Amino acid sequence: MAVKFRDYYEVLGVPRTATAEEIKRAYRQLARKHHPDLQPAAERTKAAERFKEINEAYEVLSNPDKRSKYDALGQNWKNGMDFTPPPGAEWRTVDPGEWENLGGFSDFFGSLFGRSTGRTGRGGRGGVRITIPGNDVEAELFVSLDEMLRGGRRRIQLPGGRSLDVEIPLGTREGTVLRLAGQGEPGANGGPPGDLYLHARLIPHPRYRVVGDDLEMDLPLWPWQAVLGTEVRIETPEGPVTLKVPPGTQSGKRLRLRGRGLPRANGTRGDLYTMVRIVIPERPSAAEREAYETLKRGAAVPADRPAGG
Amino acid sequence: MRVSSRTSLRASIVAAPLRGELSLSREELAAAAGISPARLARLVHMGLLEPMAPEPREFTAATLTRLRRMLRLHGDLEVDLVAAAIIADLLERLERMETELARLRGGS
Repeated sequence: MAVKFRDYYEVLGVPRTATAEEIKRAYRQLARKHHPDLQPAAERTKAAERFKEINEAYEVLSNPDKRSKYDALGQNWKNGMDFTPPPGAEWRTVDPGEWENLGGFSDFFGSLFGRSTGRTGRGGRGGVRITIPGNDVEAELFVSLDEMLRGGRRRIQLPGGRSLDVEIPLGTREGTVLRLAGQGEPGANGGPPGDLYLHARLIPHPRYRVVGDDLEMDLPLWPWQAVLGTEVRIETPEGPVTLKVPPGTQSGKRLRLRGRGLPRANGTRGDLYTMVRIVIPERPSAAEREAYETLKRGAAVPADRPAGG
Repeated sequence: MRVSSRTSLRASIVAAPLRGELSLSREELAAAAGISPARLARLVHMGLLEPMAPEPREFTAATLTRLRRMLRLHGDLEVDLVAAAIIADLLERLERMETELARLRGGS
């Protein structure tokens, strides 16, 4: 099974005659540019691959021994060519069983330098370590309002075809991170597996808005209901409820229903707020129009407009 | 290979769904981040990490991802820890903005 040659100078964008200083500078710029943490979520996996390549190239070219050994291969090799090490006792072929122990470096690296000179599983940075912890996996988890209210159980599909049953704990909100220890990528050479981090995202609900631990909904009222007061039936997550609207309720007023919001991890619950929105009849009947004309004529304080505008 | 033996082992356990952790204790956070409790105490003392709740489960899982990110930036890019904390804050803000933007553009 052939390994593919890697042109480390091309990876770092430096000429073969580059000084150690130039190589270090090139590495620093590229590492900053391609570090997975500094990318948007969608780009992270690709960036991680590139970051590994950059680290491997730097690992070789920054080390005088490794660099001279690499340079000795000559200038005729090109990126991607099938590579066989030249004859000589120093070159070794890597058994398939040894590949996990390369610490994130490529097979090409392994064929030149074996495993004992590699560093950590992140592709070359950090101290000398033999066991390699697995990478973390991060994913988004879209949660319905119902699941936030009652908790829930969800089967999720991870990249790589693995599926898991996950319990969504009470207290989960938009942006909450759920950690599933040990459910990330497996480690190598006896190292522990990484973790799985699920970032909760709320699926917008047609009726309720979430504000912290509270829910908010609109309560449209006719003008006479707001002026005279009324009883209305409204929908709550637990089903319909009768709400008393006091007389003289202004538009924008928030009426609170205690304990009907989202549950908190400590067992308490937030509240449900109804936001009053006074709605005028757009097509009043003749009788309604007449009633409004009467109101207009009989207004206690004849004024151009209500105050505040 | 290691991976296939893990998946078949998990399939035989079946049963209880895994409970996503919202919060961790001090010791769990240090262990998960791969640092000593003393080092964690120093970071909290420097104000780079904040406990969100009273003991014992004082830290959120979000704080763990933030800490791991800070340590990666520190280790990989030679950024000092105070700067790494600032970068982590900015990245979180960017993520919130990107999510909001996707939503406004008609994503789920």
